[in-house]
Amino acid sequence: MNAPPTSRERILDRVRGATQFVAKGTGQLAGAYGELPRGYVRKGRLSEGERLALMILRLREYDAEVAECAPEELPAAIAAQLGASGMHKFVAPAETPSAWLAEGFDWKQDRGLTSAEIEEAEGVVTGSFCGIAESGTIVLHHTAMEGRRVLTLLPDWHLCVLRASQVVETLPEYFARCEQAPRLATYISGPSATADIEMTRIKGVHGPRFLHVILVRDGGQ
Amino acid sequence: MSHSGYHPVLDPALAAPFPEAVLPVLRNPQLRKNVAHAIDVIQVKRGKLVAEKTDWQALRTAGAAIREHALENLGAYLTQFEERCTAAGGVVHWAADAAEARQIILKLLREENASEVIKIKTMTSAEIQLNPFLEAAGVRTYETDLAEIILQLGEDEPSHIVVPALHVNRSQVREIFARRMGLKDLSDDPHALTAAARNYLRRKFLEIPTAISGANFLVAETGSVVVVESEGNGRMCLTLPRTMITLAGIEKVLPRFQDLEVMLQVLARSATGERMNPYTSVWTGVTPGDGPQKFHVVLLDNGRSSILAKKTERQTLRCIRCAACMNGCPVYRQTGGHAYGSVYPGPIGAILTPQLMQMHHAQSLPYASSLCGACYEVCPVKINIPEVLLELRSQVVNQERGHAGRFFDPMYLGLRIANMIFSRAWLFHTAQFFGRVGLKFFTRKDGWIHSLPSVGSKWTQTRDLRGLPKQTFHGWWAARQKEAR
Repeated sequence: MNAPPTSRERILDRVRGATQFVAKGTGQLAGAYGELPRGYVRKGRLSEGERLALMILRLREYDAEVAECAPEELPAAIAAQLGASGMHKFVAPAETPSAWLAEGFDWKQDRGLTSAEIEEAEGVVTGSFCGIAESGTIVLHHTAMEGRRVLTLLPDWHLCVLRASQVVETLPEYFARCEQAPRLATYISGPSATADIEMTRIKGVHGPRFLHVILVRDGGQ
Repeated sequence: MSHSGYHPVLDPALAAPFPEAVLPVLRNPQLRKNVAHAIDVIQVKRGKLVAEKTDWQALRTAGAAIREHALENLGAYLTQFEERCTAAGGVVHWAADAAEARQIILKLLREENASEVIKIKTMTSAEIQLNPFLEAAGVRTYETDLAEIILQLGEDEPSHIVVPALHVNRSQVREIFARRMGLKDLSDDPHALTAAARNYLRRKFLEIPTAISGANFLVAETGSVVVVESEGNGRMCLTLPRTMITLAGIEKVLPRFQDLEVMLQVLARSATGERMNPYTSVWTGVTPGDGPQKFHVVLLDNGRSSILAKKTERQTLRCIRCAACMNGCPVYRQTGGHAYGSVYPGPIGAILTPQLMQMHHAQSLPYASSLCGACYEVCPVKINIPEVLLELRSQVVNQERGHAGRFFDPMYLGLRIANMIFSRAWLFHTAQFFGRVGLKFFTRKDGWIHSLPSVGSKWTQTRDLRGLPKQTFHGWWAARQKEAR
């Protein structure tokens, strides 16, 4: 007696029967995929200046604070933001450049911090993978410069460093920059928000309530 | 809604037919006002952001093609997803129906010794009625999306798939939170209400080690799961617990990571009228040191594979649950979601629910539409909902007229007689003649019939009927030909 089919087998049989599945080679499947229509805008049309201006505009529309600086001014710009926040306890990812860890603040670098330790921090400072100007989106791939996911989640205040060369205009341009799909990614478009009560937008539910971005003018791409 | 003394039934096997279920809503002006207000706000925002996209139609075309391609090759993409997700440390389970999915999830929770679980909003879990099942099995479920908390604490049901509590206004939310969270002095300011929800959940996020989510997309190429949200409750549930269980319909799969460049653009604009939702999370199996170290995906069929087999109906499965169709629907705007008797309301619910029920329940839903086509026009993946509605209506009729008890049903009797008359020219002309003579008595001087006796009164009670013209087209044509000769 054969064992009764598992749910997996039953579902896959039904799915294949439903789609007249022929055991297509991966080549054939890739061919059909390659022919899908892609008539939408993939490459942006703005100049570098316009692209950065749009990124800043979108971030500000979300009530994110944006500061700009030259590459050599970055440590001072970070220190200024930290000072203005009025807070003292900060966390940062494992591979944060030491110049970013401004003096006079209580720093914990993430070398296996517990959630409770991160929860105690008032703010977090991280790098980022990409910025998407059209939607004002910050992309994190959670590398050792960008921090584990929990690090940019529990603190109420997030300061994110974004370089001009990391800013693209359209979402497809971000995907074009991913040589390999990231294992983890978070796309942040403004601080946490809800509109569940009478469609009134309320900033700050569970994620950080305050998003600050330092845009480093590193001379574009 | 519990406030007005009735509880909506969202189990399609138990819910009243749409024309009946809609009555409590139509008698509730507060609820109708809440729904209309919310819909109007979303519609204005969506309209503005869709208009600024010069490539909107190209995005829709690409979105429809990607989803259709994924469905045509679903077997290949599902096994690819399973392989990649497993390689990344996830465990994939397959559930043929709702009961099996519930059992799988309960078994996983038992293995974790979980007496409590935190949840990200998932309509699929509502579809399989997971919460009442888990509560009965002794596992407390905590919904963490603000709207879902409102519904869970208010013992209410979702009426929309993106903004499930849009039928509840701020003073009703205040009443629920004050009562259930013990906050007597809570104000009805949405800021205060949101802060109350934040405080209510903060410790639960940090302490409950098991979470359940849905999925907006599964990526076959990478084995990744994508969740789209606004509040950060999703990120909390995806990041802090030890164990994560994701429940996803088998149709949620996308071929490649890059396909998100289309889907995320159309989803955010269609769903909430944003260029991008505040938070989108992508994760792949288990990542050492970051997030849950145990990860399970439950792939749910529950009727989907039988929809896939049907040519016209298959497009139903393209749906990315953006709710643009309900926001644009003139029927939904008047009725809200509860009348649909399902967790999937609105136009997409009207086609999805009866099909998920294998056409055994919810047969009134394909008629809950004027076929105006607004839903098709806004759908980001071009589901021709009116086409599917018509197909389902014909199936409902075919089912019904087979019943012996329906033989003398006045409607079916009338239609059979009409069929006989319309298929024979001499009978048709004779019927026209008697019709003209008979209706003459009821036709007033203005050419309109204002009241008819007996069965005819069902029409004239609410509207007038134009009297038959003195001459038929056939008669006029014959006379004209004669003159010309």
